Amino acid sequence: MYRYDEFDAAFVMGRTAQFADQVKRRLSGEMTEEQFRPLRLMNGLYLQLHAYMLRIAVPYGTLSGKQMRMFAHIARTYDRGYGHFTTRQNIQFNWPRLKDIPAILEELASVEMHAIQTSGNCIRNVTADHFAGAAADEIIDPRPIAEILRQWSSLHPEFSYLPRKFKIAVTGAPNDRAAIRFHDIGLQAATNAAGDIGWEVWVGGGLGRTPMIGKLINSYVPNEHLLAYLESIMRVYNRYGRRDNKYKARIKILVHEEGLETIKGQVEAEFAEVRGGVLTLPAEEVDRITAYFAPPAFKTQPATKIDVAYQSIIDPAYGRWLDHNINSHREPGYVSVTISLKPVGGAPGDATDKQMDDIADIAERYGFDELRVTHEQNLVLPHVAISDLRAVYEALVATGFADGNTGLITDMICCPGLDFCALANARSIPLAQEISRKFAEPKRQAEIGELKIKISGCINACGHHHVGHIGILGVEKKGGELYQITLGGDATEQAAVGKIIGPGFEAEHVPGAIETLVDTYIARRESADETFIQAYRRLGEAPFKEALYGNA
Amino acid sequence: MEILTGNELTSGGTVYLDASGTWVESLAAARVFSNEETAERDAALAATKAGGRVISLEIEEVTLEQGVITPKRLRERIRAAGPTAPLTLKGEIYDRQHLGEDGHVSI
Repeated sequence: MYRYDEFDAAFVMGRTAQFADQVKRRLSGEMTEEQFRPLRLMNGLYLQLHAYMLRIAVPYGTLSGKQMRMFAHIARTYDRGYGHFTTRQNIQFNWPRLKDIPAILEELASVEMHAIQTSGNCIRNVTADHFAGAAADEIIDPRPIAEILRQWSSLHPEFSYLPRKFKIAVTGAPNDRAAIRFHDIGLQAATNAAGDIGWEVWVGGGLGRTPMIGKLINSYVPNEHLLAYLESIMRVYNRYGRRDNKYKARIKILVHEEGLETIKGQVEAEFAEVRGGVLTLPAEEVDRITAYFAPPAFKTQPATKIDVAYQSIIDPAYGRWLDHNINSHREPGYVSVTISLKPVGGAPGDATDKQMDDIADIAERYGFDELRVTHEQNLVLPHVAISDLRAVYEALVATGFADGNTGLITDMICCPGLDFCALANARSIPLAQEISRKFAEPKRQAEIGELKIKISGCINACGHHHVGHIGILGVEKKGGELYQITLGGDATEQAAVGKIIGPGFEAEHVPGAIETLVDTYIARRESADETFIQAYRRLGEAPFKEALYGNA
Repeated sequence: MEILTGNELTSGGTVYLDASGTWVESLAAARVFSNEETAERDAALAATKAGGRVISLEIEEVTLEQGVITPKRLRERIRAAGPTAPLTLKGEIYDRQHLGEDGHVSI
């Protein structure tokens, strides 16, 4: 894992001290709220419905056991004993007090973490494939370039006051697990004719009130010129992005209104100016940073195979976990394990201090001290020996996170919604809990197969509802909550924005509506191998619409 | 009918202006301003803003029936009661934020 150099340590310490002084001046009355608000937001401190909320960045979703323990310590000492992992690979604490924030930030800095740029119109935490450095299908580990992007974008003076926030996601694999086509910039590893590895650059994707699929602006940017190319995009956006209307200020609107070719021309003109200059990545610096992400000391493992069918008979829960929560690894004898933060009836993405401590223990003992946060609000042990799987499973059973439901109907993305969020129009957590309980029966979940439900409590779409196979959007109607259902969204390389299927439902009718959609899929699928999204693509919306609303 | 609500600076907790000019946690203790009391309401708002100890100030519409104040917006009912999701992972009821020792504010 990357370790802070002197510059990183200095800027984080400097900012922590600066914000501590700002908090002190705010509490003494020397500073007004109008003066303080933009400063606290720059340090990841929001005011939500009930209290402050501190959002802490987990750079490209990678953290160590020690860092996870720090989250547990913060939850226990300064908050209410739990934290919430988010779709941006961050963690949020919902109940900190203003006077404690300087101490929290100081403690975070001691483990090389911070909350800088987790809010504001700047480049936010760069996110990445949660199986980075481990996945069998990977062309290149995306973490070194993600770390370079973190360094480039941190306190970048030119890009600290952009027209709007800016999100970058990166994947080194052809199977997109990082939703790169729904980011302001998405990067996907690509190989040129000479066999060199560079980057496909996608621009103008996003969710929110105007969902857009990113457009391919360059099919191959050499690694050494990637910073220059991205800086060129940022300059075009900073110059021409709309500042008159916050709802039209994201780069997706600029690309949409001006057209990809116009933007591409402007980016190329800028790139011609800066290419080969100070932003060229020196090979030795790339190598130095890449060395931090060297694979752990894998041991040659005996040819261990697990008979999943047999295990499913003697211990069905373990069998389900093996079936759904294990991902292929590039190293023989190893796998990646997804720790589901979606126990039936739980709040998606929440973990207690004890659970975070336990997971840190498991990572240190069985996982080379590495953990990942996924954009689907789960955690990952990227490197686990197959021979240790049973022990890891049992440790997860003890901590309450051994559900074998990854990718299934109960593995929902869900924003905090109106229970916590100042922007929300409707609740989302109680709805996720109801759906989870309705489909709790493991056999039923397995029968349904892969199905991604994503729930947002407002049009800002933190719960990614646009890209749910089934998306649920909470809106306010006549003082109450109403939920619109969308179908056919997809966050992967087969990117699609879901379509609203018809009139919305009141909360108590949503789980039933989901069941109707699921029953329709099962009745119409060609075989159990045809997933919900595949069946929807083949059948279209008509049978689902008819099932929900009749022929009228 | 309206009440004044906001978040106390140090805790961030939800507070309401009561009849004595103190910002308190209890919705039931909130001063209800009638339609004829907009001048008093605005004066209280201005004084609070000047004090700077209660932030995110809002005027909220409420109903008052048999002495019970009920905000019209669901958002405000949730602010008053705390998160509605049944239980935390620790099996505890979600409680709302409470004021600390340094969180008591008057105008």
